[in-house]
Amino acid sequence: MQLSALGVATPLAINLAAIGEAAAFDATDYKALVCVFLYGGNDYANTVVPYDAANYAKYHEIRAGVAGEDEAGIALARADLTATALTPLDGAVLTDGLQYALAPQLVGLKSLFDAGQLGIQLNVGPLIQPTTLAQYQSSDKVANPLPPKIFSHNDQTSIWQSDGSEGSTNGWGGRLGDIALASNSSNAQLTCISASSNAVFVAGRDALQYQISPGGAIRIKALDGPLRNAVNNIVTRSSTHVLESECTEVTRRSIDLEGSVNTALAGVTLTRAFPTGNRLARQMQVVARLIGANAALGVKRQVFFVSLGGFDTHNSLMSRHQRLLTWLDGAMSAFYAATVELGVANKVTTFTASDFGRTLSSNSDGSDHGWGSHHFVMGGAVKGGRFYGTAPHVSIETDDQVGQGRLLPTTAVDQFGATLAQWFGCEPSELPGILPNIGNFSNANVGFL
Amino acid sequence: MQAQFSVSDADITALTSTGWLAWLQARYDEPVGETGVAWLNSQGHNAITAEKRYRARKFGDYMIWNQLLAGPDQMRKRMALALSETFVVSLNSLEAIYPSYLIAAYWDVLTAHAFGNFRQLLEALTLNAGMGAFLNTRGNLREDSRGRQPDENFAREVMQLFTIGLYELNPDGTHKLDANSKPVETYTQEDVTNLARVFTGYEWDYLSNGGTSTPVTWERNAIPSTHLATNPMRFNSNNHSRVEVNFLGTKITITTPGADALHIALDRLFYHDNTGPFFARQMIQRLVTSNPTPEYVQRVATVFGNNGSGVRGDLKAVWTAILTDEEARAMPTAADTLFGKMREPIVRFAQWARTAEVASSNGEYVIDDLSAPETMLGQSPLQSPSVFNFFRPGYVPPNTAIATAGKVAPEFQIHNETSTAGYINFMQRVTRNGIRDVKPSYATLLPIAHDIPAVVDWLNLRLTANQLTSQTLGVVRAALRTFNINASSSSSEKHDMLATACFLILISPGYLVQK
Repeated sequence: MQLSALGVATPLAINLAAIGEAAAFDATDYKALVCVFLYGGNDYANTVVPYDAANYAKYHEIRAGVAGEDEAGIALARADLTATALTPLDGAVLTDGLQYALAPQLVGLKSLFDAGQLGIQLNVGPLIQPTTLAQYQSSDKVANPLPPKIFSHNDQTSIWQSDGSEGSTNGWGGRLGDIALASNSSNAQLTCISASSNAVFVAGRDALQYQISPGGAIRIKALDGPLRNAVNNIVTRSSTHVLESECTEVTRRSIDLEGSVNTALAGVTLTRAFPTGNRLARQMQVVARLIGANAALGVKRQVFFVSLGGFDTHNSLMSRHQRLLTWLDGAMSAFYAATVELGVANKVTTFTASDFGRTLSSNSDGSDHGWGSHHFVMGGAVKGGRFYGTAPHVSIETDDQVGQGRLLPTTAVDQFGATLAQWFGCEPSELPGILPNIGNFSNANVGFL
Repeated sequence: MQAQFSVSDADITALTSTGWLAWLQARYDEPVGETGVAWLNSQGHNAITAEKRYRARKFGDYMIWNQLLAGPDQMRKRMALALSETFVVSLNSLEAIYPSYLIAAYWDVLTAHAFGNFRQLLEALTLNAGMGAFLNTRGNLREDSRGRQPDENFAREVMQLFTIGLYELNPDGTHKLDANSKPVETYTQEDVTNLARVFTGYEWDYLSNGGTSTPVTWERNAIPSTHLATNPMRFNSNNHSRVEVNFLGTKITITTPGADALHIALDRLFYHDNTGPFFARQMIQRLVTSNPTPEYVQRVATVFGNNGSGVRGDLKAVWTAILTDEEARAMPTAADTLFGKMREPIVRFAQWARTAEVASSNGEYVIDDLSAPETMLGQSPLQSPSVFNFFRPGYVPPNTAIATAGKVAPEFQIHNETSTAGYINFMQRVTRNGIRDVKPSYATLLPIAHDIPAVVDWLNLRLTANQLTSQTLGVVRAALRTFNINASSSSSEKHDMLATACFLILISPGYLVQK
């Protein structure tokens, strides 16, 4: 049965009775997952950058076309990376003795790494099963299946979020929301929330995406004026036409939830300042406030989605990427501090995701579509200050890339997601229903939580 | 309404007396109205002064709103808007110099070719300066010995989004399936990498057709004239790839001159079996219905392949095929609960504005980007967030009866709890006050404002083709009666009531879905 077909005024009891059977956890505490999606395909090589002399030299040679340590082409200057060079807390030695530095703009994330609240997942991307270069190149796609349209923006965005190409109707955040619906009592409709545009990540099989603006829920002003009866009658009128009916459902939800959401938000005091002029920070601020309102809203498990666009840096990579990473760093740092202020730092785990990584090779002042990429996991529960997964060689020739430094993922999105899902409260037996390829991988927990 | 933003009395008379084909022919015969670039010039936005209009994006917004809300040739513009949502260039990604002229010149390519041929359109937009900036053909350099590679952005998107799409299609737009019942991919990464070589060597042409460069005291560099935006990009063979191209089974040798290579590559895409059904389905979705039958797609795709006189890609024939198809012209029935499409916010606003007979008090059209969903339309022309448009042709709204039915509803990708409330608030404001210098006159309605049934009937016909239910019409009439308007009421009182009439219709689900 469609949740939406029930109408928002109808209690969720019918659905929840069925879902309750499947829900393995009986949440008494609060936990939230926050997906920070970097639309366009983040350039991994200028986000988590080779820093030790030998590997930096290879990076510079590939990205600048010449030897050296100065900024050139799309290579960052080595000296600019000194302040953000990372030393893993566990003393781990990475591939080829790699030492990484974060991009110079990521000073806040560097502090969180040092303090053990930020982990870095290396070379993660969509995979159906563990895949070698030979298997990638094999013409036998039945034995060696690959995710469809690996280098296409919209499809890889959809696959990252949902495990299916464009047109998928539920994502793994939403499917996690499905098993949490029963824990969220009367406000189950606030289980999966996007503070960005509509995203399949936060749509479940039953859980609906609720969309909120950075300023909170939007009140229809005419409902407070002399036209209120006419407006209410018109915009909530049922129709037998499916498209009209869906318009009505969305408007009804908007109206019905606006009051309780804004009232709950008004009760949250957050002194932590978020950076201004930063689209991502505005979204993360309202997410922090919603998390602060979890007790008032009576919710125990929530999945949030926020995003920042502009990462498709085919050109002007150096200037554009630096601006984007400044926003990312400011927003994520402020958000973490806000969760500390709210006393929920251990209960909120934030992670980045993106369409794909990019090439290591340059196209003169930018990079092209790739596959695997490095991503951040942040929160008080994260075993931070460490790297997870396998560091790729700095190379456009090794067998951990498929040409021009497009990384062949060594950790699957399903493994990355399963690690987050288990922290959230999902039992191993429930994982295949949420991350359908997880059974193809021997390790369903990467270990960062 | 499928063919334009709004309908006039003359349209209604012509359609009922001479029929669709004659009406369409008259539209095709209408000359192109004032271009976007000409309008910008008329407003002095090409002036090179310390005010730096050459860096401002907002004039691009004013330009497109002027184009959509004013001028007689609105079918051409409606088709160009549909094209702009497949062949996307976004003003918000244009930087540095003359963003408003770059977007206007791109828009002018769409209007110039909207009643022309797909192949010429494809070449014109490939070489357009704004497209060059948006998808990086501008300044695209050949491979070199130090590992540099051509930029693949345009090569990928011209295939994925502009011509053939991701999967092999049958003539009716459905996927061809392989022996394992899987869709067959149209191209590989190797095809993209190869095709990218064709699009190397292009750069903005600053000087042809009288382009100039003006030294100024307030900037380090001289300021070029707007020709960089209006001239097609120029080819510089020094920067063109020296490597043979093999894509989609077509070989382009290293000795092939750059212009010939471009023609061969674009021909390969134009003549690909996918291009007709791929384009036909999307244009049907933009104009008529989100879920056309395969037969409807095939009928239009067949016309794309041959207009009846042996010409492939005749866009006039394509529009006629889309708009006069039995599926488009059939009266909606109660049983067909999925026909039609959600009107996109841009079209709603433009339809209201033209129906309300808006006019600018000073000609400036100070209407900015209306993309903010919480306070405005949630969509603005030529302001797509990426090359993937505001919404995707395959978007399925999750957890809806639409999804259960296995159908798509592209426009729902930008519809949610925030945007629906934001739109309602926006229309309440705008129907009464307009935006800045652009105000509704309600000129035709003011004299009959005291006759509420007549007002509601007039609007119902022009905004919804008489598709509102009697219950909704009853609610609207009752709300309007509370204004107590009579023939001697002030025009300001009448204006308020007419704004309310429009507002209530424009927020009704029966209007939001074009059937």
